[in-house]
Amino acid sequence: MTAKAGSNLERVLAEGHFALTVEVGPPRGPDPEEVIKKARLIKGVADAYNVTDNQTAVVRMSSIAASKILVDQGLEPVMQMVCRDRNRIAIQSDLLGAHALGMRNCLCLSGDHQSAGAGGKLQGHPGAKNVFDIDSIQLLSVVKGLRDDAIQEGGDSIDPAAPFFIGAAWTPLGPPEKFRTVRLAKKVDAGADFVQTQAVYDIPRFAEAVKRAEDAGLTERTAILAGIIVPRSAGMLKYMNANVPGIDVPEEMIERMKSASSPKKEGVKVTLELIDAVRNISGIKGVHLQAIEAEGMLPDIIEVAGLLPRP
Amino acid sequence: MNEMTESQNGETRIVVLYCQHSVGNDVDITSCAKSVAGVRVRPAMMPCSSKVQVSHLLSILDKEADGVEVIVCPEGCCELLIGSKRAVKRIEYARGLLDDIGVGPARLGISHGAGLPADEFVKRVAARAEAVMNLEENGENR
Amino acid sequence: MIFGEWKPVEEIVESLADSTEVLLVGCATCVAECAAGGEKEVETLAPLLSMALKKKGSSVEIKTAMLEKQCEYEFVEMLAEQVEKADTLLSLACGIGVQVLAERFPDKRVLPGVNTSALTVREEAGVWASRCAACGDCVLGETHGFCPVARCSKSLMNGPCGGTSKDGKCEVGEEMDCVWNQIVERAEARGELDSLVKIRKTKDWSNTRHGGPKKVVRKELRQ
Repeated sequence: MTAKAGSNLERVLAEGHFALTVEVGPPRGPDPEEVIKKARLIKGVADAYNVTDNQTAVVRMSSIAASKILVDQGLEPVMQMVCRDRNRIAIQSDLLGAHALGMRNCLCLSGDHQSAGAGGKLQGHPGAKNVFDIDSIQLLSVVKGLRDDAIQEGGDSIDPAAPFFIGAAWTPLGPPEKFRTVRLAKKVDAGADFVQTQAVYDIPRFAEAVKRAEDAGLTERTAILAGIIVPRSAGMLKYMNANVPGIDVPEEMIERMKSASSPKKEGVKVTLELIDAVRNISGIKGVHLQAIEAEGMLPDIIEVAGLLPRP
Repeated sequence: MNEMTESQNGETRIVVLYCQHSVGNDVDITSCAKSVAGVRVRPAMMPCSSKVQVSHLLSILDKEADGVEVIVCPEGCCELLIGSKRAVKRIEYARGLLDDIGVGPARLGISHGAGLPADEFVKRVAARAEAVMNLEENGENR
Repeated sequence: MIFGEWKPVEEIVESLADSTEVLLVGCATCVAECAAGGEKEVETLAPLLSMALKKKGSSVEIKTAMLEKQCEYEFVEMLAEQVEKADTLLSLACGIGVQVLAERFPDKRVLPGVNTSALTVREEAGVWASRCAACGDCVLGETHGFCPVARCSKSLMNGPCGGTSKDGKCEVGEEMDCVWNQIVERAEARGELDSLVKIRKTKDWSNTRHGGPKKVVRKELRQ
């Protein structure tokens, strides 16, 4: 079967390997060195590197720009694109530009509401007009159209086609839970080649959700990568459990982190256990590993998990 | 009773809106009104405190008085059941508005009573007048 | 109804800085229904503004007037005599009413006292909630009676995002219901969950302000 976009991530999955993606957060400033520094820390440890798009509506260097810097450093980015800030014209224009600059993976997301950017020490831009001209599922269709039919959303053609390996996000444990399988199905129908899930901590419930997806034939049509966030403290887990929709942390895990003599070390242990657990869930084709603002932790974790060298 | 005219000799002017049941039937209101030193009082009886309107209270403060005291029946004792509850809410809202424009929410107050005797009535009025005079001293004047 | 709320009183007071004779005009329709511009609110705001202006040393007189509807030219006409004596019209109507006043009395300063912000229903006494976004392409028939344009913070068309909280609330605020959660529950209750599988295509926003300010002419109704 010919490759859809020719990306490394696509190849790894097509060859049947357990895939590994990690996340890189661009800086709140224009300095490319900051991206280069992170790139050097984690070069070679993953099959592709997600570059977030103004995550939590906080202004950061754009995903396209930071992705280009990664490309220049020899890493393959997964450019993330949200629907909050751009209309369909800007989106398609950015996709053409991204392709020209060497990007071949695109993760299509709704995007956090702009009110999320105002919190803690940050003022953000809660008064900004949000766009949401199209939603994430329509965005998947748009990217697919640019790839498979060389056609824009409005019907005009592009020349040549702009192929991307297309990704979507999935929050299997978010309410309404029974609809989440349908939502995944819609994303797959719209064009999702791969899916990265919201962070998993409750393995049994996650496994149930994946089973439902499997029963619906979805795990054959799309490659699901389980999201894992490295926990650093009980406080962090508690916070995510209470405040991040779709992240459910079992009480025992919070207790475990609390009573650990070194929460950092315990967190790494937990991460390794989670990676192991999801590998054993039928239908899971890889892991999307995140160490928030601590990318330096990743190489060791990945090595100990037995995931090196990458194929 | 008609609205009070301009304040004379810097007297503090207080309007008292009281529910008919909150003050004793035998109380000589007119006499009470005259017995607060340095304060000009206009008492006005309401059939029920549910009659209190925010617009009316503000109008009184704008045109006629430096402070308004509203006396209503204790909660649960209102003859018309929820009148006093509504009055409390409205006074709270009106005080918020006064605060918004910086003229001092303490100009407007509400207290409860059932068949109050004369001296208690006078006490309430005097207290409201004092609160208003404190505002003036602290610069929250108009 | 069209929903509006008082602008912050300080903002209104400041806007009256250059005025001497103000006519505060209310409207007995939408803004009265949302307790912002009806007779009660006019009679409350007038003394409040008067006190605030006196405190600033201004001697502005606030006169009041009520109209049945500020968006009807024939009602606005009835103000003509009162307006003559005023230099400023402070309107508590929605943006439509303010502009009708401005159109009819172009040499007067016309100011808004209300921020018009939504199309709402009154859920209960004192509670109004957005229902319609005037998107010009109604999909209510496909979403089981809940509008995803007005009631989803992201106007999503294909189901909830990953931000729905455990109690079915929107990620933006716990006072907001996730409307997609409500749509799914309603569809399920009707045994029509399948109706939500179809991928809803991109919306055409051009039948709204996005396509340019709307002006509609119905020939058969013109005189």
